Amino acid sequence: MADVKIGAYICKGCGIGERLDAKQMMQVASRDAKAHLVREHEFLCNAEGVQMIKNDIANEGVNRVAICACSRRSKTDAFNFEGVAITRGNIREGVIWVRPNTEEARETTQEMAEDYVRMAVIEAKFMTPPSKNTEAKYDRTILVVGGGVSGMTSAIEAAKAGYPVHIVEKASALGGNAANFLRRVPQKSPYANPEDSGVAGLIKAIQADSKIKVHLNSTITRTSGAPGRFAVDITTESGATATEHFGAIVQATGFHDYDANKLPELGYGKSPNVVTQLELEKMAKAANGAVLKTKDGKEIKSVVFVQCAGQRSSKEGHLPYCSGHCCSTSIKQAMYFKDQNPTIDTNVIYSDLRTPGTGGEEFYRSGQRKGVTFTKGVVSEVVNGSDGLDVKFKDLILNQDVVEKADLVVLATGMIANSGVNIDEVKQDEPGEWKSSPESVLNLSYRQGKDIPLLKHGFNDSHFICFPYETRRTGIYTTGPVRRPMDLLQAQEDATGAALKAIQSIESAAQGLAVHPRVGDLSFPSFRREGCTQCKRCTVECPFGAIDEDEQRFPVFNESRCRRCGTCMGACPVRVISFENYSVDTVGQQLKNINIPEEFEEKPRILVLACENDAYPALDMAAMRKIEYSAWARIIPVRCLGSVNLIWLTDALNSGYDGVVMMGCQKGENYQCHFVKGSEIAQVRMSKVDDTLKTLNLEVERVATYEVAITDIERAPRLINDMAEAVKKVGLSPFKF
Amino acid sequence: MAEIVATNQTILVVGGGISGMTAALEAAECGKHVILVEKTPSIGGRIGQLYRYFPKLCHPTCGLEINLKRLRGNKNLRLLTMTEVADVQGQAGNYTVTLKTQPRFINENCTACGACGEAVKAEFADEHNYGLGKRKGAYLPNAMAYPQRYVLDPRIIGTADAEAAKAACKFNAIDLDMQVETKTLTVGAIIWATGWRPFDASKIQPYGYDRYPNVITSVEFERLADPHGPTGGKLLRPSDGKEAKNVAFIQCAGSRDRNYLKHCSRICCMASLKQATYVREKFADAGDVSIYYIDIRAIDRIDDFHQKVKADPKVKFIKSKVAKIEQDKVGNPVVHGVDTEGYTRYATAHDLVVLAIGMEPSVAANNFPIKVKVNESGFIEQDEANGAIFAAGCSSDALDVNRAVQSATASALRAIQVINRVAGTEG
Amino acid sequence: MGDMNVVKVEAYRNSFLKEVEANVEGGQWVKMCMQCGVCSGSCPLGSAWDHPPQELFMMIRAGKREEVLTSSSMWMCTSCYNCIVRCPRDLPITHIMHGLAHYAERLGLAPKNQPTRKFAKLFWNNLVKKGRVNELKLGVALYFMNGLVEGIKTALKMAPLGLNMLKTKRMNPLEYVGGHGIKDAAGLQAILKKARAIELAKAKKA
Repeated sequence: MADVKIGAYICKGCGIGERLDAKQMMQVASRDAKAHLVREHEFLCNAEGVQMIKNDIANEGVNRVAICACSRRSKTDAFNFEGVAITRGNIREGVIWVRPNTEEARETTQEMAEDYVRMAVIEAKFMTPPSKNTEAKYDRTILVVGGGVSGMTSAIEAAKAGYPVHIVEKASALGGNAANFLRRVPQKSPYANPEDSGVAGLIKAIQADSKIKVHLNSTITRTSGAPGRFAVDITTESGATATEHFGAIVQATGFHDYDANKLPELGYGKSPNVVTQLELEKMAKAANGAVLKTKDGKEIKSVVFVQCAGQRSSKEGHLPYCSGHCCSTSIKQAMYFKDQNPTIDTNVIYSDLRTPGTGGEEFYRSGQRKGVTFTKGVVSEVVNGSDGLDVKFKDLILNQDVVEKADLVVLATGMIANSGVNIDEVKQDEPGEWKSSPESVLNLSYRQGKDIPLLKHGFNDSHFICFPYETRRTGIYTTGPVRRPMDLLQAQEDATGAALKAIQSIESAAQGLAVHPRVGDLSFPSFRREGCTQCKRCTVECPFGAIDEDEQRFPVFNESRCRRCGTCMGACPVRVISFENYSVDTVGQQLKNINIPEEFEEKPRILVLACENDAYPALDMAAMRKIEYSAWARIIPVRCLGSVNLIWLTDALNSGYDGVVMMGCQKGENYQCHFVKGSEIAQVRMSKVDDTLKTLNLEVERVATYEVAITDIERAPRLINDMAEAVKKVGLSPFKF
Repeated sequence: MAEIVATNQTILVVGGGISGMTAALEAAECGKHVILVEKTPSIGGRIGQLYRYFPKLCHPTCGLEINLKRLRGNKNLRLLTMTEVADVQGQAGNYTVTLKTQPRFINENCTACGACGEAVKAEFADEHNYGLGKRKGAYLPNAMAYPQRYVLDPRIIGTADAEAAKAACKFNAIDLDMQVETKTLTVGAIIWATGWRPFDASKIQPYGYDRYPNVITSVEFERLADPHGPTGGKLLRPSDGKEAKNVAFIQCAGSRDRNYLKHCSRICCMASLKQATYVREKFADAGDVSIYYIDIRAIDRIDDFHQKVKADPKVKFIKSKVAKIEQDKVGNPVVHGVDTEGYTRYATAHDLVVLAIGMEPSVAANNFPIKVKVNESGFIEQDEANGAIFAAGCSSDALDVNRAVQSATASALRAIQVINRVAGTEG
Repeated sequence: MGDMNVVKVEAYRNSFLKEVEANVEGGQWVKMCMQCGVCSGSCPLGSAWDHPPQELFMMIRAGKREEVLTSSSMWMCTSCYNCIVRCPRDLPITHIMHGLAHYAERLGLAPKNQPTRKFAKLFWNNLVKKGRVNELKLGVALYFMNGLVEGIKTALKMAPLGLNMLKTKRMNPLEYVGGHGIKDAAGLQAILKKARAIELAKAKKA
């Protein structure tokens, strides 16, 4: 790397100049860390300071810039230089704001700052500005799997933005479940009456759109590749297969009705006049405006709707969730009767009536106005009575057990996602033995399984509140009721959003840019093949299933599937995986190059590896409040705790650090790790650290791993101080030299 | 301020809350040119004032950090804070918008070092904490504030405090002569994401929000739970700073009520369930929660969170719209009403009452700079009559964060469709 | 499920609701109730009600005709209008309560000894005689509403007040024999007769 030229810049603003010896820091930068050019500035982030750096880049050939000033989270607009690697030495939030301004503290504070200067320069030395991904491809065509309302909406909306779309639908016609709907719940003011389902309109729009190609009676028998270059086998019922190429995929495979046969207590299967909402919809659609009759041809005078049938229940075989649409759907269906003949009695028995928003509440009122009655109650049984059905329930308001007679009982059963195979249960076939699975939706050839990982209750939802489209398979977005239970209005909104995400993924992949959450990152993992032991840890642990294996079990990285978390790098026992701007060295060399004082100086050193998205900002914000922490700490932000390679720990302990604190995000069911499994994987790896410590003859207290949230502004500094206390107790490391 | 380039291929996003931020970022990350305007001095909106999200109980600032990182790194996106849209003329594909920017009195030189804040004496109610605490007349709006730049409260301009702030700044960042700036831009599509505001609780007279210090709103309770909030994350009630261990949540405070807001605000049930966990977490078995509700609307798969809270014996659910609140001698709010499940009257004292306050659109129906079609609650309808003005998030309905982001992402595509049509790249 | 508690017959069929809608003032609003209970909680006399308004509405929907119409509850309403002001669904609850009481009375189902009902009857009978309320007669009638013995007891208890009123000329004992009225009392009777006829016709039609 002959052409590396590091410029180190020491800012003296914000009190740094008063609190610290800048000259000393400059000397550290040039003498210890070997920066090629070192400058100080009174106020580095102002126009003049920035210009100084720009001049050095232009005139002095500086291509690595180490800014020793405020936190990497501050002044990012100012310190933004094209084409060079930038590192930040945090001597404001990381040093002067967390240390007391006292004479006693002066020396240790200065040492802290000098170490951060060393670290910034060393990091710059081992960092390369990312070059472009050579496998980047631009394919604007989107594959939509599923031709229901969600899929059709995604296709139409993407096409409206200029992107060609293929829809693959396994049935012989478009429309999905909604094709059976007589009408839908109103989507516009005044939200009073059921309205046209809109399905015919969507089908017509698709037929009229030259950008949309529809494959009916077809399924997907293989999907391989990555965003920008997916290769998909589309197979028709007759077995004919065509391979098509796509830039991104939208999975809109919808839902199927809960099997009401599991609800014999509610009379399903025992009487033909107990039907599900979906079945009533079909009856109504078939009648097409004619008077609805019971299966045995009798006039219907009374209808009871049983809400939450087999839903919101922890009973074996029931669905634990709420399907969201069913309250409004029952109101709509009760209106089918009321609008036809107001003397028909319709009673909706519910436990919580869930009609949110403006539209929901208006529609509820409209139902009441039309004479639909609502009863808060719990239905225990539906049986064949002497004259029609007997609905046994407890009225919770009147606190009484009741039997109501009904000619028709409608069960509001739940939605079950058509999400393919559960890859946690069905493992991927071995390479060479790979077969298409008829149960799978996507038939991914990926190492980690044939479909998208499920989140909860069989849905392919995103785990993130703020990022609802983020699946764990880059460039494949799920939408509609396969993602989470939803009504038609939400499904259409959702499908429009999913189309945007597909477009975004295509545009990003074309430029080799990462998508969420490290948006725009150009780096990608590379590995030294000759050093690889084919241990498969990286391919197994990648949270996004980005890494496949070739026939010899070497990893295949699929750059545009990668989210750049570095979990593979952390996993690799032989350290052959790295990113241009983040590697075993960019961190490892930092920690190795700090100054470890001699034992007699009694100045411990604590290495803190902190998640850059949560723990690190928490420490920054603690610093803004001037919450102090130990001067022994040296903090290095990491992309994810999952990227932490054990070598960093052993190196640190071997070179005389007295303690190591790792701060990741919450793991488990409500994980907050934005790389899904990073913090969890780190925890597993760290569970083996005790053995390492024992072989080194070190106390287990010297290494601690914590879950730290971004709001932990008091706790995070406290955890560092706790380690300082622990070190005091067990004594300094014997490895200082 | 650097010149702003905008053309009829630019998307204007109005409002820098989670919806506006999302819409702007999603569009910009598709390669589109976006201008994001925000009325207040920093972006983040109401989610920045939340301690946790339901149902994961994760922290909104965590996602905000990611979004801010996305924003900082995106060259297609231009952010204008303290800016409002004064006027909009034109039609889809070609709007002329007038933007009005209030003076911040602090320029780009600001390093957020805090010297001006220390120099200024005057204090004002802290908007970030819904007025529950005070902040200085020179202030950083909150710890996550972006731009990370101080603001001078216009009320100190012309006072000695303003001069003191100026004198304290070593970086020449304070400009007391800043004026209101008006600029006119051309844009192709507009995403309207001005969000919601909490309904004015004092209008619900029987609840005594304006009379009893220990009756607060859910948005305020959120600030109490937050370590960045006025109590440092302790659940202390306003009247005497006593720990609020026995907390009542009153649902539909303003919502589902023709006297106030006719619509259901959707989020309040889940918000109270979430806040119930704060009480239980902080005080363990010494914590007691009562939730007074009409219907618990924990919609779709997140109902499991409702079931979990419901299984907690220390959380009581009472199907009742509370009739009135009185205050006893020791300052405890006493909640009166009828449990409609089996008819029982109650008059129960609690340490603190939290009103699960409803959401109303931030911009009143007659206050839009251009005519848009709204529904009876004032939310913008998706309608062709609105041209290329698309609502995102709570401008379109009472939505939770997940749905707001969904809506914002959809609105970004709708705007892109217009832009691509203008550019002729749609086919 | 204990069969003892099971309510059979026309339970939850809407026949009674429809009857109420047709015959009770404001009856068409009963179906709009969402069982929030704010009316019941806001009623200043709420604790005296066996079945508060929201419960009555549910009972109507549940078809509990007998129980509702023979109930004393709606007779407890003092027309303070608190419930109407508070109802989130716009129900004219006060009117419905009076409407229900009135309908029950018309059907002869109203509880015979319900004091408010008795008072209402006394008041009405007193009023329609001359078109003006005779306060003295009404007062005395109220004392003896529950029988002679109780009437004497009450009268004795109230005697000092009565004497004071006499002294300060706040009461004219002669009112008891004559009393003033409107000019055309016969005309009033004619109006009332006609009104009754209209009401009857309406009820028959329904």
